[in-house]
Amino acid sequence: MGCGVTKQNQKQIKKAMRAALLIQRWYRQYVARLEMRRRCTWNIFQSMEYAGEQNQIKLYKFFSYLMDHFTPASSERNLIAHIFRENEVCRDAEWERYFNYKNIEVPEFYSGPHLNFPLTATNATELVEAFRTKQQLHSRYVLQLLVETWKLLRILPNINHVSTCHSKEITICGDLHGHLEDLLLVFYKNGLPSMETPYVFNGDFVDRGKNSMEILLILFAFLLVYPNDVHLNRGNHEDHIVNLRYGFTKEVLGKYRVHGKKILKLLQKIYSWLPLASVIDQKVLILHGGISDTTDLDIIAKVDRHRVRHLWPGKQRMLISLALFLQVVDMLWSDPMPIDGCVPNEVRGGGCYWGPDITREVLEKHNLQLLIRSHECKQEGYEFCHNRKVLTIFSASNYYEVGSNRGAYIRLGPDLVPHLIQYQASRSTRDLTLRQRYGVGRTERSALRALREQLFAHKSDLISAFQEFDPEQTGLISLNHWATAMESVLQLGLPWRMLRSQLVNHTQDGKLNYQSWFKELAIMEPNTQLAHTNLLETLYKHHSNLETIFRIIDTDNSGLISFEEFRQTWRLLSSHLQIDISDEAISDLAQSIDFNKDGSIDINEFMEAFRLVDRTQQERSNSTLSGVHPHLLQSEHPTKTLLVSASPHFV
Amino acid sequence: MAPKKKEEPKPAAAPKPPEPEPPKEPEFDPKEVQIEFTAEQIEDFKDSFQLFDRTPTNEMKITYAQCGDLIRALGQNPTNAEVMHVLGKPKAEDMNSKMLDFDTFLPMYQHICKAKDRGTFEDFVEGLRVFDKEGNGTVMGAELRHVLATLGEKMKEVEVEQLMTGQEDANGCINYEAFVKHIMAG
Repeated sequence: MGCGVTKQNQKQIKKAMRAALLIQRWYRQYVARLEMRRRCTWNIFQSMEYAGEQNQIKLYKFFSYLMDHFTPASSERNLIAHIFRENEVCRDAEWERYFNYKNIEVPEFYSGPHLNFPLTATNATELVEAFRTKQQLHSRYVLQLLVETWKLLRILPNINHVSTCHSKEITICGDLHGHLEDLLLVFYKNGLPSMETPYVFNGDFVDRGKNSMEILLILFAFLLVYPNDVHLNRGNHEDHIVNLRYGFTKEVLGKYRVHGKKILKLLQKIYSWLPLASVIDQKVLILHGGISDTTDLDIIAKVDRHRVRHLWPGKQRMLISLALFLQVVDMLWSDPMPIDGCVPNEVRGGGCYWGPDITREVLEKHNLQLLIRSHECKQEGYEFCHNRKVLTIFSASNYYEVGSNRGAYIRLGPDLVPHLIQYQASRSTRDLTLRQRYGVGRTERSALRALREQLFAHKSDLISAFQEFDPEQTGLISLNHWATAMESVLQLGLPWRMLRSQLVNHTQDGKLNYQSWFKELAIMEPNTQLAHTNLLETLYKHHSNLETIFRIIDTDNSGLISFEEFRQTWRLLSSHLQIDISDEAISDLAQSIDFNKDGSIDINEFMEAFRLVDRTQQERSNSTLSGVHPHLLQSEHPTKTLLVSASPHFV
Repeated sequence: MAPKKKEEPKPAAAPKPPEPEPPKEPEFDPKEVQIEFTAEQIEDFKDSFQLFDRTPTNEMKITYAQCGDLIRALGQNPTNAEVMHVLGKPKAEDMNSKMLDFDTFLPMYQHICKAKDRGTFEDFVEGLRVFDKEGNGTVMGAELRHVLATLGEKMKEVEVEQLMTGQEDANGCINYEAFVKHIMAG
């Protein structure tokens, strides 16, 4: 009887195998194509994010240059001096008087949480619960909480030393960026901070998300209750000038109209007193950005950290040496790279790129075995590199867009082996198809929309660049030239040829009619009619810079600047950008803006004119975790994440 | 004494009797590959290559492990074996550490593109039809999962799960034409 398989059966099996192989090949191709699209989308978001940061740095440099080069008589100098005025002469006692909250009365009808000092664990827990149900803490309590936090931070060392003795596992969270739903999800899954559940929060608590204030208040509350078990590291967004650009300043002023500016001033001080790093069991180093070839923890331990207020060494240069200042900047801004060496981080404009050799050196020098950092968004919420000696942890899920990425946190026990837990706060149904999991579709559309905005902002420059390739003025250019021109103007390092199919609809014999292409783009973005006049287009291109400057000028944080200040701002910016716009044109523009308060310009109204209606933003704000039904939260990967199906009540 | 049956000699050096194997494929030699792509196409490939390049200084290098993904993303669908072949059968530990540049990649990709028997879309549908026991346009999800995880170049359970999510109806059946359209639409 030989083998029991008949010839017929053999044929069937062979057929089945061939079929299986075919399906598998197709599946793998499908997945690879999705991955490609995801990377493309990711690239778009990330390069625009970093280009924005770089812009910020350029602005700092410009102000610094002005400070050093304008004669005292010029009005611009006054403006700059006024921007960078630091009331250093006040002593802490005087500041405490300024931040006096005792006169602030809490009205009877206030239904939010009440805090008693010294804070108890119950207070902190109630605070979390209150924010979960979308309440707001009264400014009196905010100021009081912040003052207590400030007092505590002043006595903390630059480097937190944490220990896993008593068999404690430590939880480490990365960037939160105002995503309250993610912090609540971590607490739900992992437990609130306590003596049994110590935490390290690795910076970038604020900006971008809309609950930065609540996150800070929660973190500070737990810091006050458990000062030995909650550790905060400063991130590059814990910087008031960065906040001016990336949304936190606006959030605070919007939520606290009367006391917002005091709160912001106090936060400035708190930021500068945040510790710079944490070390666990003298073996695991945790800091926000990274390291460089000059990193020396013994030196860092002794630096006067509160003298580093923000990134650019303007006036503060006098208070701390440049070398020390740069070391601190490196800790907050650097990114790892796969090749050896240490080069300046041109993409971000601050800090450096460091290679595996630097990791080895620094870890060896200080007898460490692992470096944990954050600062970069990762699709899975985390990523190892440098032979698993560096671990990036990022805790804000859906950072670029709903579905763009997961968040994650680390649990570290006495064995110092990191365990990673991932999650994603989302309202979507549990069963995402493969496309949805890859964030293709919605995320992609969002990225392309943002990219098209950029195209509009640079319309004139782009047309000039295209015309250089079209000397005979046929109105047509080849797709190759199109790609080259796009990159030379936008400098985003994007794969234009790959994006071509998404951005260009019609070609004639492989050539593109660029004027009609812009017209087509306009149809998709109705609100960009603004971009059609030269002046408005320029303003639009620089609107982020403009907004940042406005908010700096608006030192009383009232949201209003005078007409004269507006003109000065504009003159300043135009000299920085080397564009020529007449005073008359500016006056005309100012006239056309709605003056609503005696010759003042409302910053928000002005900026509104540049905001393209972003449907996804509205949708996103609707889909964040509502207080009552957290079955919005969903399970992604069965072995790694949590399925939440019932409304938790924190005990 | 009865004569013992002669035992089969088992000399250590003697090779096993050859099984009906296909003749061993010659090692991949990139120099033997004639590049037939146009300059435009090559520029397009470079863009995609760059997407996988993780070096911040844009060294235009990718890891061996990414090679297969890139080839597939560009539109081919080789088996894993074919990918390993053009990579020169690297060791498992090299996959994530060894890197290659674009000029090394191009002949590999060209070779894959030239290979016959690529498998068309219709072949794909035919492949699924094999499992359509009742000839009614559907396959049993459970059976397909089993097949994909145990035959051919086995897929991991996680991968199978990802592929099948949202595709099965209440009876656990998959309408495969719709399934294929879904994949093609991606």
